[in-house]
Amino acid sequence: MSNLKTKTEKKGYFGPYGGQFIPETLRPALLQLEEAYEAFKNSQEFQDKFKWELKEYVGRPTPLYFAANLTKHYKGGKIYLKREDLNHTGAHKINNAIGQILLAQFMKKKRIIAETGAGQHGVATATVAARAGLECVVYMGAEDMERQYPNVQRMRMLGAAVEPVHSGTATLKDATNEALRDWLKNVEHTHYIIGSAVGPYPFPVIVRDFQKIIGEETREQINEKANRLPDYILACVGGGSNAIGIFYPFLSDKNVKLIGVEASGKGIDSGEHSATLSRGAAGVFHGMRTYLLQDSEGQVQLPYSLSAGLDYPGVGPEHSFLKDQQRVDYVYADDRQALDAAKLLTRLEGIIPALESAHALAYLEELMPKTKSDDIIIINLSGRGDKDMNIYSEYLK
Amino acid sequence: MSQRLNNLLTKKNAAGEKVLSIYVTAGFPEKDATVDIIFALIESGVDFIELGMPFSDPIADGPVIQNASQKALDNGISMNEIFDVVKTIRPKSDIPILLMGYINPVMRYGMDAFIQKAAEVKADGFILPDWPLEESIEYIDLLKRNDLDLIHLIAPNTPKNRIKQIDDISSSFIYCVAYTGVTGLNSQITDETKAFLSHLKSNLKHPFIVGFGVKTHEDFKNFTQFANGVIVGTRFIQVLENTPKEKRTGTISNFIQSIRG
Ligand SMILES: Cc1ncc(COP(=O)(O)O)c(C=O)c1O
Repeated sequence: MSNLKTKTEKKGYFGPYGGQFIPETLRPALLQLEEAYEAFKNSQEFQDKFKWELKEYVGRPTPLYFAANLTKHYKGGKIYLKREDLNHTGAHKINNAIGQILLAQFMKKKRIIAETGAGQHGVATATVAARAGLECVVYMGAEDMERQYPNVQRMRMLGAAVEPVHSGTATLKDATNEALRDWLKNVEHTHYIIGSAVGPYPFPVIVRDFQKIIGEETREQINEKANRLPDYILACVGGGSNAIGIFYPFLSDKNVKLIGVEASGKGIDSGEHSATLSRGAAGVFHGMRTYLLQDSEGQVQLPYSLSAGLDYPGVGPEHSFLKDQQRVDYVYADDRQALDAAKLLTRLEGIIPALESAHALAYLEELMPKTKSDDIIIINLSGRGDKDMNIYSEYLK
Repeated sequence: MSQRLNNLLTKKNAAGEKVLSIYVTAGFPEKDATVDIIFALIESGVDFIELGMPFSDPIADGPVIQNASQKALDNGISMNEIFDVVKTIRPKSDIPILLMGYINPVMRYGMDAFIQKAAEVKADGFILPDWPLEESIEYIDLLKRNDLDLIHLIAPNTPKNRIKQIDDISSSFIYCVAYTGVTGLNSQITDETKAFLSHLKSNLKHPFIVGFGVKTHEDFKNFTQFANGVIVGTRFIQVLENTPKEKRTGTISNFIQSIRG
């Protein structure tokens, strides 16, 4: 299925969003990446290798778990969890990292860089780089290093250098700036494994394609279990990779309602949130045209979320397009609602979710009363909460 | 095409002289410092000005210009105040002024409004590193009609056919990035750099000016063996950082002399 809906559109665009707003220095690398990805897509050998890795190393397919207790709690439709938390390294991020390391090897790159917020993408990248025997540098905001410290330790154990970033808010946006600056300098031998469906073309397409396995499996599994498609699919949206991964195979199924949940931090009207699609305006950031949290002068506003993985002022360009098309409904949940939802899931189902995923769970409070008992609701449980234990412990006090 | 810029390049070329341009972030070190700094640069014989429009997330800049940009934003500089700087300079000087920055604040202002306003205050054009050919092409005519130049950049890894494409679409000069990386690194003229610069020298229709990493008289001499001129940014920002306000004019004059030699 083509993501580019009309023929008149420019290459690399989703409607008016996407593109390649990058310094000339990066252009050859993006062209090379595009070519490598074309070769990858058309090669059965590559595709088989990717699938094999996901099965044997990552542990896919992940279960589609019927959450009986959560379902009983809400007294509405049936709730299923797509268990991306059960992937090796603990989140969906590994799907993309596995695919991109194959591309890096195909392009004969010697060095890998990445940005990370929650540290899940950093861990996934450090993991695949270690296995490929490639040098790995991960940029991480100093603030995020503190709040997601277990992942910093994991990356170091895996042999990656974790570079603290102090500029701006010392979070994901600043880590991405620094990764882009590194790439500008070392573009010849370095591949940048970007961690979400963001950045200049072809990254948003590549990351989506490596993540769409989530939706493809979900489709098969729900057909097997319920013999029909779901009524709702929910996913949290930071840059938007787990969300586009589960949404994409359902985009043409107009009866499947797709809901993306952003972080409203301290409240949607508090000025401290990361609800890009709800409160942002079209702009250009990190190489793409997309919705962006910005002020009247076009300066990027400092986002906020307790969840490091959602604390980003931009969003993948395909989501901007899907919002304008009204194909996906973008809503939000705040810090407190996410924490409550994390606790509820843990106590009812014995699953400690990542704080990011907890934002998707939090929206059940609003959605479930509107559902009927035979409705099917699927939530992308994008990651596990080990990394968030400090935050959860504070919350329990 | 900007007549002021074109006149400058033609005159310099005829005289066999090299161009020296300075980058300065608008609103830095103080919000109202920029007009005086530019007058001091004009007095010191600088040939044209790159007036930096600060952006919150300058991915092509190293720490020095990042900090200057953040300081200028903290000082509260706005796009209209940047236009005012040009407007204030213009009646007293014909020095070409190019607005340099990132595309988001420009788009936020409104592409058409921005071009119109730039023409109105008599700026000469733009340097927008994250607005490459493919994305800017639809505005070429509007820019032409307003006598504004969009300066394109080329880097050492830019393929030869792409260099030609950029040369063909350019209207005044080409901005040559001396190395791959961000602003403010130390540039070393390796054999590769020389080969790259020689290629430009013998193949470009337009003059080319080297920026990124030009810091000393030595750099000026080395690069202008090939290029029509250089742009100094980071080192000038450092000079501003390290000079008390009262001594600024004198220090600027000395600095420019030291670069030209
Ligand atoms: C578990 C988990 N879910 C979601 C996200 C948000 O990213 P994305 O929107 O790209 O899925 C992250 C990012 O770090 C994460 O670690």
